[in-house]
Amino acid sequence: MTDGKYPPRVLLAKIGLDGHDRGVKVLARSFRDAGLEVIYTGLWQTCEATMCAALQEDVDVVGVSLLSAAHMTVMPEILRIRKELDIEHIPIVLGGIVPEADKPAVLDLGVAAVFNPGSPMDKIIETLRDLAAGHPSFGFDEIIAGYAKRDPHALAKMITILQRGDGLNGWTPPAGDAKVIGVTGAPGVGKSSVIGKLGLMLRERGKRVAVVAIDPSSPVTGGALLGDRLRMMAGAPDVDFFVRSLSSGKGGGSLSPQCPDVVKILNGFGFDYILVETVGAGQADVGIRELSDHTVLLLMPDSGDSVQFSKAGIMEIASCFVVNKCDLAGADATEAQLMSAVGETRPVFRVSTIRNEGLGSVADWITGL
Amino acid sequence: MSVKPSAGCCCSSNAGKKDRPFVGPDELGDFNPAVALGEPGSFPFTRGPHRTMYRERLWTMRQFAGFGSADDTNQRFKYLLGHGQTGLSTAFDLPTLMGRDSDDPLALGEVGRCGVAISSLADMRRLFDGIDQSRVSTSMTINAPAAILLAFYVAVAQEHGVPLEQLRGTLQNDILKEFHAQNEYVFPPVPSVKLVVDTIEFCTEHMPQWNTVSVSGYHIREAGATAAEELAFTLADGMAYVEGSIARGMDVDAFLPRLSFFFDVHNDFFEEIAKLRAARRIWAYVARDRFKAKKERSWLLRMHCQTAGVSLTEQQPMNNLMRVAYQALAAVLGGTQSLHTNSMDETLALPSEHAVKLALRTQQLLAHETNVTQSVDPLGGSYFVEKMTNEIEAKAQAIFKQIDELGGVVKAIDQGYFRRRIAESAQAEQRQIESGEKKVVGVTDFAEDGPPGVDLLQITQDTEDAQVARLKELKAQRDQGKHAAALERLRKDAADGVNVMPALIEAAKADATVGEMMETMKSVFGAYDGGPEW
Repeated sequence: MTDGKYPPRVLLAKIGLDGHDRGVKVLARSFRDAGLEVIYTGLWQTCEATMCAALQEDVDVVGVSLLSAAHMTVMPEILRIRKELDIEHIPIVLGGIVPEADKPAVLDLGVAAVFNPGSPMDKIIETLRDLAAGHPSFGFDEIIAGYAKRDPHALAKMITILQRGDGLNGWTPPAGDAKVIGVTGAPGVGKSSVIGKLGLMLRERGKRVAVVAIDPSSPVTGGALLGDRLRMMAGAPDVDFFVRSLSSGKGGGSLSPQCPDVVKILNGFGFDYILVETVGAGQADVGIRELSDHTVLLLMPDSGDSVQFSKAGIMEIASCFVVNKCDLAGADATEAQLMSAVGETRPVFRVSTIRNEGLGSVADWITGL
Repeated sequence: MSVKPSAGCCCSSNAGKKDRPFVGPDELGDFNPAVALGEPGSFPFTRGPHRTMYRERLWTMRQFAGFGSADDTNQRFKYLLGHGQTGLSTAFDLPTLMGRDSDDPLALGEVGRCGVAISSLADMRRLFDGIDQSRVSTSMTINAPAAILLAFYVAVAQEHGVPLEQLRGTLQNDILKEFHAQNEYVFPPVPSVKLVVDTIEFCTEHMPQWNTVSVSGYHIREAGATAAEELAFTLADGMAYVEGSIARGMDVDAFLPRLSFFFDVHNDFFEEIAKLRAARRIWAYVARDRFKAKKERSWLLRMHCQTAGVSLTEQQPMNNLMRVAYQALAAVLGGTQSLHTNSMDETLALPSEHAVKLALRTQQLLAHETNVTQSVDPLGGSYFVEKMTNEIEAKAQAIFKQIDELGGVVKAIDQGYFRRRIAESAQAEQRQIESGEKKVVGVTDFAEDGPPGVDLLQITQDTEDAQVARLKELKAQRDQGKHAAALERLRKDAADGVNVMPALIEAAKADATVGEMMETMKSVFGAYDGGPEW
């Protein structure tokens, strides 16, 4: 339940091929500035992936943005999947171009509210807060029992409790034997894309995979804009591929303060691999080391690396090095510099997420750990 | 009620110095009309690309149209031609724009909704049924799969025995702005630009009357950019295509005259006029001095304009008629070569026939009743307009400098520069509306209760079902051996880095679909996942 003590979590989704994202981006930023936690799942999502994300993120409201005129096809599908996934407690709101004549039909489907262009922002935010406040609470015992049965709803709810700093009343999860892999690197290097593709690859190999994506919170409002998930969307509901976005909290570090506990919960749930993405604070940040068994440092060609290589810090804690964007010029030089600096002690991989190249070797390295 | 100047995004319309509500000659510095303006039709073309402009030839009234099946749009084309429209402009549906077939799972509910669904040569054949391609000029608004749609158009012309050199029209074909704003990209930026250069090369050789790229600011502006950002990003994209074509070994004077531009015309009347004038001046200098073009035709920037869709409101939709009329006047005073006026209902749905006709009549009134066509660049020499033209040019130059510092357009895309700036500007405008600083008539002020009350065009799900059925039949009945061989040639040509246009035309004739050709190229070029978002 959200009683004003915690920022409501809102998932904003664009579904289908419509790329008009001005509105959804303005909303995402405005919600963050109003103190909400926003998970934006990016363009070109299916109804199924969107609702699967809503379950895993345990959001209070789902907002769907449609400017494609497909609302009478898409919204029934969204509501059907919501029922199938047993998350009917999560209200759905629709924003976009919905002709007045279609509004009653959309609301009749079970959509909680429809907002058109020109709707005042404060009214939208007020509606979202009201809907979030009406979110039913779930009993702690119920959650523990569900967790024991590997129910993803329970896992999602338990992470929410931790995220709010409420603690688990002394309850501790069973010990697991997951390998925790931290993935770090400078902003823009492609951490989310690499994790998304690696996660799916490990999943195809029959491994159970959890991903924790951490984005910064606004130090002022406590709101956050969590956008990393958009590169880690699974196609279909899958209990063994679980992605959760965390905000780093007001502390300003690159890891969420609750991150170690969240990792323990995921570990106890029975995942084989837990991939933790950090906000990309760069080389000054070595907090990831305490959390993970192994750390992957992501780099890209032509990023002034030769200077960084010689500096102490993040280079020392990395267990392996992955040069992403190897489709770009300068990849050979970056790899050569890396090889001469660290190649004798630790593996160096070249990958391109755009071309889907080289990730198999990284997956091999991970499964060999 | 007093009207205070807004302090925000459209600051350049705040006339004059703080203590003076007008602009005087002292604010023009060392303004020299001979250098800054020239005469209409002479360097640097600030006053217009042609000497006589609308006196001799009106702008082309080109209303964007497309919805439902190829047959539906074919009928709308014939309706518009019958009402005096002088060129066709094709809107494709979202699946086609994204290079996906109508039966693609992600196309669910979107087939024929926002434009016409074209998945194969057979669809293109039906789209132009009974329309003489040698007599009509056709614009196609398509980007990621632009080369494929061009291949379809060429193949239909060849079937009808129309020589390619007679084809007139425009391919939007501007992929860079998709990365900045509209998000209809498929391949990564580098191979995407390579495909654009392929089409420029092909058309320069075979289709000399075809405008190869319509370098577009429209979508950048609609996504939230300011007028100066629209101007600068668009011209920077144009420069990137020119550089790519020169790097291919093409003669700059052979292809440059066939690049055209496409701008948004928004509400800030004089700022828009200044933007269009500044665009011509900047481009003339860039073409002559930076790219060393020698022909005058290479220096002049020709443009299409469209009134600002984003300025339309759902509330009190009739108000949109007046918005569009003022915007259209700005486009004409700015010297556009072609114009689309939005229909009053376009914020609600695809325009109805009635609304489209009113939009066209808006242009006809402007052209035939107001006499604004009689003197070229009537605002030239106005202290205010010249100052504003200088200012917006200076802002654009500052942005070019930033893009250069980031390593050029493609590198700046990789760093999220354009998307971030556009999102920030959109957010800033939203804040102004929220705070009441920026008024929207009928929405923030002078609002009324009640539903809008205009009749809307309805697209039914039947369109999608019929289109999917046709596609299924095509896939079953085509010559499978010829089809497979054509796609294999396409894959090989893409991998070898040669111009893919001949392979695309062959694949079109072998009934390969848009989706199949895109998948084949994706296997070589890769798929772009969007770059930095915030």
